[in-house]
Amino acid sequence: MRGGGARRRPALLRSVSAATPTVQARPPLWRNVRVLRWAFQAVFLLGVALFLLYLWGNLTGNLERLGIRTDFRYLRQPAGFAIPDSDFRSSQNVFQALLVGAKNTATVAFLGILLATLLGVIVGVARLSTNWLVRRTAALYVESLRNVPVLIIIIFWWAGILLRLPPLDEGSDVFGVLSISNRGLVLPSLERTSGIGVFLVALALTAAAAAAVAVWRTRRFDATGEPHRRVLWAGGVLLVGLTLAFLASGRPLGLSLPEQSQFSTAGGFRFNPEFAALLIALVLYTASHIAEIVRGSILAVSSGQSEAASALGLSGFQRLRYVVLPQAFRISVPPVGNQYLNLTKNSSLGIAIGYYEMTRVTGISISQGGPAPQAILVLMLFYLCFSLFIALVTGLINRRLEIKAR
Amino acid sequence: MPRMRFTFAALLVAVFALAAAGCLHSDSEDEGGGGSDTAAQEDTGTGAGGAGGEGEVLAAVKERGNVVCGVNEAVPGFGVATEAGEFEGFDIDYCRAIAAAVLGDAEAVEFTPLTAEQRFTALQSGEIDVLVRNTTYTASRDGAEGARFLHTTYYDGQGMMVKSDSEFQELADLGGATICVLSGTTTELNLETVFQAQGIEYTPLTFEEADPLQAAFIEGRCDAWTSDLSQLAGIRSAWPEAQGGPEGLRLFEDVLSKEPLGPAVRDGDDDWADAVNWAIFATIQAEEFEITQDNLDEMLESDNPDIQRLLGQPVEGEPFDAGLGLDADFVVNVIRAVGNYGEIYDRNVGEGSALGLERGLNALWTDGGLQYAPPFR
Repeated sequence: MRGGGARRRPALLRSVSAATPTVQARPPLWRNVRVLRWAFQAVFLLGVALFLLYLWGNLTGNLERLGIRTDFRYLRQPAGFAIPDSDFRSSQNVFQALLVGAKNTATVAFLGILLATLLGVIVGVARLSTNWLVRRTAALYVESLRNVPVLIIIIFWWAGILLRLPPLDEGSDVFGVLSISNRGLVLPSLERTSGIGVFLVALALTAAAAAAVAVWRTRRFDATGEPHRRVLWAGGVLLVGLTLAFLASGRPLGLSLPEQSQFSTAGGFRFNPEFAALLIALVLYTASHIAEIVRGSILAVSSGQSEAASALGLSGFQRLRYVVLPQAFRISVPPVGNQYLNLTKNSSLGIAIGYYEMTRVTGISISQGGPAPQAILVLMLFYLCFSLFIALVTGLINRRLEIKAR
Repeated sequence: MPRMRFTFAALLVAVFALAAAGCLHSDSEDEGGGGSDTAAQEDTGTGAGGAGGEGEVLAAVKERGNVVCGVNEAVPGFGVATEAGEFEGFDIDYCRAIAAAVLGDAEAVEFTPLTAEQRFTALQSGEIDVLVRNTTYTASRDGAEGARFLHTTYYDGQGMMVKSDSEFQELADLGGATICVLSGTTTELNLETVFQAQGIEYTPLTFEEADPLQAAFIEGRCDAWTSDLSQLAGIRSAWPEAQGGPEGLRLFEDVLSKEPLGPAVRDGDDDWADAVNWAIFATIQAEEFEITQDNLDEMLESDNPDIQRLLGQPVEGEPFDAGLGLDADFVVNVIRAVGNYGEIYDRNVGEGSALGLERGLNALWTDGGLQYAPPFR
């Protein structure tokens, strides 16, 4: 009946349209809602583009009138300034200085995110503890730090605590292992002496062996049901393997202890007070926010889950670990990702204490002759890259965890 | 519908192509060429001023009735804010001299304190009319930063300061030291250049403002403080008694660089630049003719034609008008307000002040120094 060729209107419609020949299938262009929608959007877009063009032209025109460059050539000029605690030479160009600043921002952001998450989860769970003292202490910490502006916490830690540490010459050595002074905290570090290549190869082999052992134990557990204790097994293999590799390759790593010299401590791994103050302040502040998010997401898991877990005979820790926290984790991912973005952007407050992160390096390059509009634009692009990366990672995690039914 | 989507996509592409073409067009222009067409059309509020300048700043200052001066508020001797909120110092007096020359009233000044990092952006954007803030005259500031430097009012050099009880005597002793410096200054760059040239390792510690720098220096966070010698002298003169007073600090003998300090205006207005420049020259020429605030009235009656011309007194008819856009007797206003160069110097940084700096390079050329004003004729 229905042919595969030309489409013919069903019989009913045909008779209707024959009776009312003035009904059209499509209104004219100027009355077609779909066309109008596209047209308005296109006009709007055109308007925005023209406006941006005007702003750009105005800016470049005014800058050129004042004799200030409007290009990005300044990025290739020698920087002229030094950046402490880095290998940056003043003869390198401004772009490389910005990269050093970006590396510093990334260090603060990465370490800050790690530590803040750790602390935040602990405090968040503590706030729901049945122990009154633990609960109250956690509440005190959260409430006091959440309500103080970050900048004040940063300055307090830097000027009020870290700068008040004893100066270098007044016996800042702690058992000859650490050095704590107002020039910074110096920890012992590892330094390469020789034969590092052999050691690294042996390290890789040991790691592979530990992984293989873990897989074997898991298989045994699946097959026979005996407790796998794979962490202990793998850890043991790693330890033995590392010691053997270390001794076999001729002790390639040595301990570098801080040695006091007149001005500074040579050796060891140094945290300067600015970095330490910024990191500690950001971690404390962001952890207080993350604690609240964690607490909220735990409370958001329906109480039926906890009751069912108790009914099954799970202990408090097991209930948290196997039932509540996995569900709470899913809920907490978007807001915690937001806090990570905040932490990254708050690292720019390091300029108040002289920490050489991206914003400070940009500020110095502007004050030493770089054109301000271009420099700020580059800075914003850097922050955009950081933020988009963090958003990407949290977005991926979120998509993996979300309940598809919604 | 596929056709609609195609049309819309084509429209989008066209719009973005337009925008991109506009951006690339502006970007690839040389300094000499104009901006895009939109720039020329929309450039309304800036008057007809081009590279030649038609006195827009001078006219604006006269109309507004005051001079907006970018100054320092933290350097004793040059620019410091007192407890009462008043400003005083060498640079402050020159701001007043400029106001007296252009407007006839030395108090018609609005002081805008600026940090070293902010000062050139403030000048470029037009927030201030003139920057009198112990600023060093350099090539890149003249060029890329769009400033126009006027006559150097203070020939300075960069020095190094340590606490009296430290054992460092000269630059070579500072290997491995931490040195405090203000950021956004030539001091920061010179420190790097000199230490690199001599192969001395050091760690810089930079601050935007002098107060946290001073706190860090007192705490022992850094071993030495580097800045212009005049600034160090000023800081030393005001050093708190709790830290040992001025005797608690010692300046090295080494001079690390040349630091010619002077006022700056922005490029593009020659009339304003000339007016400010001659306000400065007036003070130097007045010292050469030995005109002071005290003997000004006597000098007005002088027979010396050079002095008469300088002070705007009619010499057989009209008083001399150099065409600077200033009153004929602007020099009289300047001297009456702040005195000649020597008086300004003595009052703020010289014998009559807490700093006690000698004239040195800042003496008149007749005394072997560098202060030399072009003839006023």
